[in-house]
Amino acid sequence: MRARYPDCDRIVVRDGVGIRYERYGQGRPAILLLPAWSLVHSRHWKMQVAYLARHFTVVCFDGRGSGGSGRPPEPAAYTDAQFASDAMAVMDAAGIETAVLVSVSRGALWSLRLCAEHPDRVLGAVFVAPTALLMPPLAERRVQRFGEVLDDPVGWQTYNAHYWKTNYPEFVEFFAGRIFTEPHSTKQIEDAIGWALETDGETLAAADRALECSDGSATRRLAARLACPVLVIHGTGDAVRGYYEGEALARCTGGALVTLAGSGHFPHARDPVRVNGLIKKFADGFRR
Amino acid sequence: MRARLPDREGVITRCGVRVAFEVFGHGEPAVLLVPASPITHARSWKGIVPALARRFTVITTDGRGTGRSDRSHQPERHAPAEVTADLLAVLDAAGAGRAILVAHCHAVPWALGLAADQPERAAGVVAIAPGMAVAPPYPYAAEAERRWADPVDEPAGWSMRNRHFWRHDGGYREWVEFFFGQQLPEPHSTKQYEDTVGWALDTDPEAMIAEREGRAAPAGREAEALCRRVRCPVRVLHGSDDRCQPVARGRRLAELTGGDLVVLDGAGHLPQSRDPVKVTRLITGFADTITGAPMPATTWTRGRCRPRRALYLSSPIGLGHARRDVALVRELKQLRPDLEIDWLAQHPVTAVLDAEGEHIHPASQWLASESAHVASEASGHDLHCFQALRRMDEILVANFMVFQEVVEEGGYDLVIGDEAWDVDYYWHENPELKRGQNVWLTDFVGYLPMPDGGEREAFLTADYNAEMIEHIERYPWIRDRAIFVGNDDDIVPDTFGRNLPAIRDWTTRHFSYSGYITGFTPPEPGQVAALRAELGYRDDELVCVVAVGGSGVGQALIDKVVTAYPLAKKAVPELRMIVVTGPRIDPAAFPPRAGLEMHGYVHRLYRHLCACDLAIVQGGLTTTMELTAAKRPFLYFPLEHHFEQNFHVRHRLNRYGAGQRMDYATTDPDLIAAAITELAGQPVSYRDVETDGAARAARLIAELI
Repeated sequence: MRARYPDCDRIVVRDGVGIRYERYGQGRPAILLLPAWSLVHSRHWKMQVAYLARHFTVVCFDGRGSGGSGRPPEPAAYTDAQFASDAMAVMDAAGIETAVLVSVSRGALWSLRLCAEHPDRVLGAVFVAPTALLMPPLAERRVQRFGEVLDDPVGWQTYNAHYWKTNYPEFVEFFAGRIFTEPHSTKQIEDAIGWALETDGETLAAADRALECSDGSATRRLAARLACPVLVIHGTGDAVRGYYEGEALARCTGGALVTLAGSGHFPHARDPVRVNGLIKKFADGFRR
Repeated sequence: MRARLPDREGVITRCGVRVAFEVFGHGEPAVLLVPASPITHARSWKGIVPALARRFTVITTDGRGTGRSDRSHQPERHAPAEVTADLLAVLDAAGAGRAILVAHCHAVPWALGLAADQPERAAGVVAIAPGMAVAPPYPYAAEAERRWADPVDEPAGWSMRNRHFWRHDGGYREWVEFFFGQQLPEPHSTKQYEDTVGWALDTDPEAMIAEREGRAAPAGREAEALCRRVRCPVRVLHGSDDRCQPVARGRRLAELTGGDLVVLDGAGHLPQSRDPVKVTRLITGFADTITGAPMPATTWTRGRCRPRRALYLSSPIGLGHARRDVALVRELKQLRPDLEIDWLAQHPVTAVLDAEGEHIHPASQWLASESAHVASEASGHDLHCFQALRRMDEILVANFMVFQEVVEEGGYDLVIGDEAWDVDYYWHENPELKRGQNVWLTDFVGYLPMPDGGEREAFLTADYNAEMIEHIERYPWIRDRAIFVGNDDDIVPDTFGRNLPAIRDWTTRHFSYSGYITGFTPPEPGQVAALRAELGYRDDELVCVVAVGGSGVGQALIDKVVTAYPLAKKAVPELRMIVVTGPRIDPAAFPPRAGLEMHGYVHRLYRHLCACDLAIVQGGLTTTMELTAAKRPFLYFPLEHHFEQNFHVRHRLNRYGAGQRMDYATTDPDLIAAAITELAGQPVSYRDVETDGAARAARLIAELI
């Protein structure tokens, strides 16, 4: 059973793709919880929703390629612009004029775009473990060859479009272990694997191909246009995108940085109490 | 002494009327504290200014008619428009474009008027116990208002609020004493009562009458309309037991302004005085919300990744606590090698900690000086330490707020407070703020009245004791362990006061005994010669050490002993006198005398005490017990009116059969010289002092983690 069920659970169709969104609560301001990557769907926010919805209006949606949203096969359907447009469509459909954006991981790229291109709709942005592409990948990830055919890939080499077609569950298991580096994270890992297996390797590969086009210079350009308050939350034990990524994003956005010593890539799932408190405090600044 | 002095003081003058203001700190936003003048003035905010000023620019003003402002006797000079114009002029003079206005009682309409008319100057309003006529007043207040201008025969209670009675000889004072008795319904409010009555008597009845008659506060629809015009955020704080302004007024004000209401259940009309911790936090929280204060870069460490950490607070009044606390920490680290210890400490304790290589928390720099306060309270060889402690109220709350921020950010497993009065008091007053396990250490229990303080002092000490007893019995979980540094026989045979328990029985029920903690092992008789040689003391000289402990009090005693030195030297030619002024008295302040050695802070002074032939000291526990443990002859002069030195310490020394007590006032230099001649180098037969006190205390603490 869920801790809280949505007051509204609908699909908005944009550009032929259905985007499933949920709306909870009615406080001000509204908080839009963005997707992380098509690997997982909006249930990865489950530790936030019930708490935040007691104070704010909370809206979340399954990113295209995941959960109850459509799974277009072509990479062109998964660009940053597409995800950002989905977010605007969800806000419109949910009747949300302005919102605090909260993103995790890849969601950072879409959040930055929304902040820069729709300043009138965004009150502020919280970036949890951002994948902002400002720093080179972690050393252990430099073995990745996403598009190449590899013999018996191991570890980060399994981050590979061809491998996903045949061995998607193995990759998911490996990756979930990298998201949660904290000891005693069995439940969080099981959850992530379960959500990931609701989509498939072909879809994820399509989504990832589009994202390959993003780079750090785009992030910097968008960050330079940012006018709203920013909070960056990053764990020092993040094994997917290093802690320095968060530091760099805080620096180039002028945002506040909260360091979570010992936390991994999904602190909102593993350290929900702390992260909830930080989001609440940040959003409280936009109550009036 | 004040906990924090203003960074800037000034006066604005409008139409010939001077209004004083003070500015503290420099953060954003500015916070203007508006008192309900002239019955009170800027000092009424003393419990909340220091903590707020660490974050914000805090501006206080006395208001027309009181404090350092002019006493205007014309009603028209107290019109609301005049007062709000003063407030704007104060904001201008303080360089604050926009401020959060915090107002109390009948100052609330002024603040709301300013916020409504000059929205660009008001970032928000905090209304405390608002005197806003948006709901009916109490019937007794309405009746007094109705008869304000009528001559009243033999008024009593609220009917004393009357212009004729205030002009009547002593009438105003009688009213003020009645009024503040009503407004502080919380038990144990003697200090707040004395303060507020004192501030009310700073003005004169004519200024009070002029203000009442010129007040012209809006009522009914006009008041409602004013509230509705306020656009900025509003927070209302209202005590449920407010006997000046009914809570219905606060509730209605919150509704009309769209503000939030915080009812302080059980509080009276003056929560900023009686519950300063809660009020400070409510103002700070409000300011953060409306300004969307940027979050500072912080690190939060996952629970399982944290080292075990303790925060140690050592009372800075004197040095004795520091010595024993360092000894205790050494033992604790033996038992819990992985325990990290930070010290929240101030001078002179930091002198010991620095020398011992201990880690001092950087927030220590924000602590207001308790030692300087105590020195400021002393006069000659006289220190009324109970009243000094009472008058230290604003320093204690200021330092508590620093402490609380540290524990809320620091992730401490354990707080150890050696007579950390601020922590013990305010955690019992605000129990929801407790963090971690809490250890309380003390070497005396119970305030005792000095005989010349009469009935009043007996009442006050009993009231303070009763509050402490109620705290412990109501919240037994605030102190996870209470340690008495000593043994049950060390406790005086007195009671806590009339109808209160015997101190020893009660202490035995609520404390563990660690035995005394000297912080060192005294040398065996056979080792003294070697120690003397190391310190440069010859066998053929009689070394007399004069020491006044670690506080700034002691100059008078040193003066007297130094005068006795030539007389004693004549009688005992082998006498060598060494004066140690301690860390807070400059030895250069004394005129040099031939043959006399003067030193300031001497690290590990106990080594000298262990090797001397005689010591002359004050009546402080640490130094006298060091001499007792070392079995050296000594004269001790308890500070006059110092209940701890005169009762608690003296009782303990009598039990050990140690030391010769001297009365400062009746002892002249001849008597001192005679005592030196008689006692120097003589053998003593004191009861042994245990040497395992630190280890026993450490074991009691280690059990908690």
